[in-house]
Amino acid sequence: MSYISSYCHISSTIYSVNGQVANTFESGTLDEIISELYTSLDIKYSKFHKMDQLSKIGFIGTELIKRDFPAIDNYGENDIAVLFANRRSSATTDINFLDSYQDGGIPSPSLFVYTLPNIVIGEISIRNKWFGENMFTISNHFDANYFANYCDILLQKSSEAALCGWVNVDDNKIEAFFFFITKKDIKQLNLQLNSEKLTEIYRAI
Amino acid sequence: MITYIGSENIISPLGNSAEENFTHVSNGKSGIELFKNVGVGKEDLYLSKIKSLEVDHKFDYLLSNCLDSIINASSDNIINSEDTIVIISTTKGDIQENLATPIQASVDKLQQDYNLAHTPLVISNACISGVLAMNTANNFIQANSYKHAFVIGADAISSFVLYGFQSLYAVSDEPCQPFDKERKGITLGEGAAGVLMSSDPTVFKKESFEFVEGTSSNDANHISGPSRTGEGLYRTVNKTMELGGVKTSEVDFISAHGTGTLFNDEMESIAFDRLEMNAIPLNSLKGYFGHTLGAAGLIESAISMQSMRNNTVVKSLGYANDGTSGGINILTENIEKELTTFLKTASGFGGCNASAIIRKVK
Repeated sequence: MSYISSYCHISSTIYSVNGQVANTFESGTLDEIISELYTSLDIKYSKFHKMDQLSKIGFIGTELIKRDFPAIDNYGENDIAVLFANRRSSATTDINFLDSYQDGGIPSPSLFVYTLPNIVIGEISIRNKWFGENMFTISNHFDANYFANYCDILLQKSSEAALCGWVNVDDNKIEAFFFFITKKDIKQLNLQLNSEKLTEIYRAI
Repeated sequence: MITYIGSENIISPLGNSAEENFTHVSNGKSGIELFKNVGVGKEDLYLSKIKSLEVDHKFDYLLSNCLDSIINASSDNIINSEDTIVIISTTKGDIQENLATPIQASVDKLQQDYNLAHTPLVISNACISGVLAMNTANNFIQANSYKHAFVIGADAISSFVLYGFQSLYAVSDEPCQPFDKERKGITLGEGAAGVLMSSDPTVFKKESFEFVEGTSSNDANHISGPSRTGEGLYRTVNKTMELGGVKTSEVDFISAHGTGTLFNDEMESIAFDRLEMNAIPLNSLKGYFGHTLGAAGLIESAISMQSMRNNTVVKSLGYANDGTSGGINILTENIEKELTTFLKTASGFGGCNASAIIRKVK
């Protein structure tokens, strides 16, 4: 049995933590919204500025979860599995990389390294010194059944917790949902992990 | 409960079955050739490219042909069973012809064409995708989520990926030479491979193996450079061995990742040294197939399963002189001996590493 101990949503208009709206954004470009979110975190992490949008949103979502659930620091460095997913892989960066060479230009190495969706997991692992299980999957819809089942499976094996993210940054829209799964209901949110509960909180905003 | 693995298939320039591929590999034949005007600025480059594959949507073709072969090597009708999941491993899918939805469009089509009971799970986790896909299948089977998993990995050569690796100065101007002193980088390849994994040994038409355990670990170090200490690789192999209850002395050979880049191969040698696996015969199969990205873990596992069937570990093609600091046993000749157990490893961008152990059923 596993529990959802923290969750947050980020869209192009609001972000919320555990279902409570934490901030709303004035209309702006994606880069402006991402910049506003990063500034509101009040952290200095120079690597953030070279990331693509997918990695930036993944990074910010993880920071929001950590802030809501500081006990995350008590886990060992191999303990936390990171499972992320989205609809369109690294599509936005793929297009930017293609644009870099299409009209006789020189292919951009700094864009190319972000043309793999799991780079966001790498960025989060580097930031937090997490050496646990990794997996990036691609699906048309948020697959609550997969996340609930696979978190349970990993937590019954060698992982103690799982950080999950459904992270879409395409067509000038952000749709992201992050949740942290633990073996005990440490924060007593009373959210036992199953696909129905996960679907319910995913849709709640 | 045992997870069984078998019905392996490979599609590559060396052939369309695991047997055909293994025959060529064991004779030292490579799929790598020089192609004219393919690189940035029309540079000639070595590739392991399937020349006969002149179809639209190569990725779709590779997926379905590979799946067909596994279906033919297994019991009737399990592909459509409620107890079956299809797991697909790829990095860039159909990127050459479908930039907008390079993976999902092909997977949706596959699900419809084969009338699958469940939506396939698509794993896109850089170069460890193939090993991760087998690990995930094993986890599902052990948890009783599914009884059977068809696991297929495929990637096609695209200018997108080729130019990308060229932009990183990671492409060799000769056929790749993993672990060799003179190695200069990767040779890009294309192909597909797949296996059936199941809790039921009777679904395989030929003898199957035991998939003992598989895990992954991140280096937490750099997104495109391997860890200097081989941290993630060291950790995943340790974890897999420990969870699987397998001792180093039981591992007959290692199918390493061995891309042919300076830093990757050095990292692997350091990890295997730390693991005290120096004496275990080891190969990289990239000299035969190039780097096939999302297909690599499955192609190399399928060849290693063929190795066990034929009791022959194949040499690490392209390797002549030791070019890494770990002091590991890279094969310069094929070895014929009774084989029981092998370790498969993979490492990729994003600092990811995965490992798996497969052995003959006791």
